[in-house]
Amino acid sequence: MRELSLHILDLIENSIRAQASIIAVRVAALPEEDLLTIVVEDNGNGLKVPAEQVLNPFYTTKNGKRTGLGLSLFKAAAEQAGGRLTLGKSALGTARHAGLKVTVEMVLRHVDRNPLGDLAGTLASVVCTNPDVDFRFDLQLDSRACAIRARDLAAQLGVDPQDGLALARGVRARVAGELGSSGVFI
Amino acid sequence: MAQRITSPKDLKALQEKAKADIDLRSGQKDVRITVHMGTCGIAAGARDVLGALIDTLGAAGVKNVTITQTGCAGLCDQEPMLTLADKAGGSFRYGKLDKHKVAEIVREHVQRGQPVAEYLIKV
Repeated sequence: MRELSLHILDLIENSIRAQASIIAVRVAALPEEDLLTIVVEDNGNGLKVPAEQVLNPFYTTKNGKRTGLGLSLFKAAAEQAGGRLTLGKSALGTARHAGLKVTVEMVLRHVDRNPLGDLAGTLASVVCTNPDVDFRFDLQLDSRACAIRARDLAAQLGVDPQDGLALARGVRARVAGELGSSGVFI
Repeated sequence: MAQRITSPKDLKALQEKAKADIDLRSGQKDVRITVHMGTCGIAAGARDVLGALIDTLGAAGVKNVTITQTGCAGLCDQEPMLTLADKAGGSFRYGKLDKHKVAEIVREHVQRGQPVAEYLIKV
């Protein structure tokens, strides 16, 4: 996958499959530290096996499949840009649902770092199809920042909280408006 | 073929599908569109297909559609894919999509009730 946004989408899809009701996405590009950090944290079912096994491309929890490429592809994308992908304990987890925190760090100006891509479109797409999930987006690119809680967005926009299409358009407009460049980033 | 339920997750997926089916039958929504968003779908362009759906449904002012998502359907070579379920109980699986094909499906199938045979997956 060319865009880091698509890897983020893939992680969010994992969280949804793990029955998460809260999914927090944090993206921070810090030029002074030459660091790009991406964190996806949820309160889903968490891991049943050790982290190394999850990162194996031939491990999957899906019935009838023999490959699980998502996490291993993101790990490879991080490592080619001088970074790493780590799995850790989620602050959103509970005793019954441990949740999962995936942290990816990369060298921001690394020549082999993939572009972030269409972040606005990515976040809009997950809100569209999952209006029940409490999404919390915290985005910081250079000096611009954007924080969105999907739960608050329906009231702010004056739309039905179950109207995924309206929420998606709201998310896309907020990200593009507050971060600039139409929500698509290098 | 009946779907085997092997985990609470499968049961929840079935519950969501049943709820969407009830919405269809009870007349709250006329059409349900499911976008396949597995890793294979995402890599092939599922996000842009969903984005095109959001844009075209909004531009056309269509309100009678529920959009949901699911994972890989095991037809990775046909991605990006969507499944359209209508009020009459019909299920139509479209494959190898792009934003132009999505616009055509919204115009012909969602608005006029005419499936676009050319883009249906033939099995």
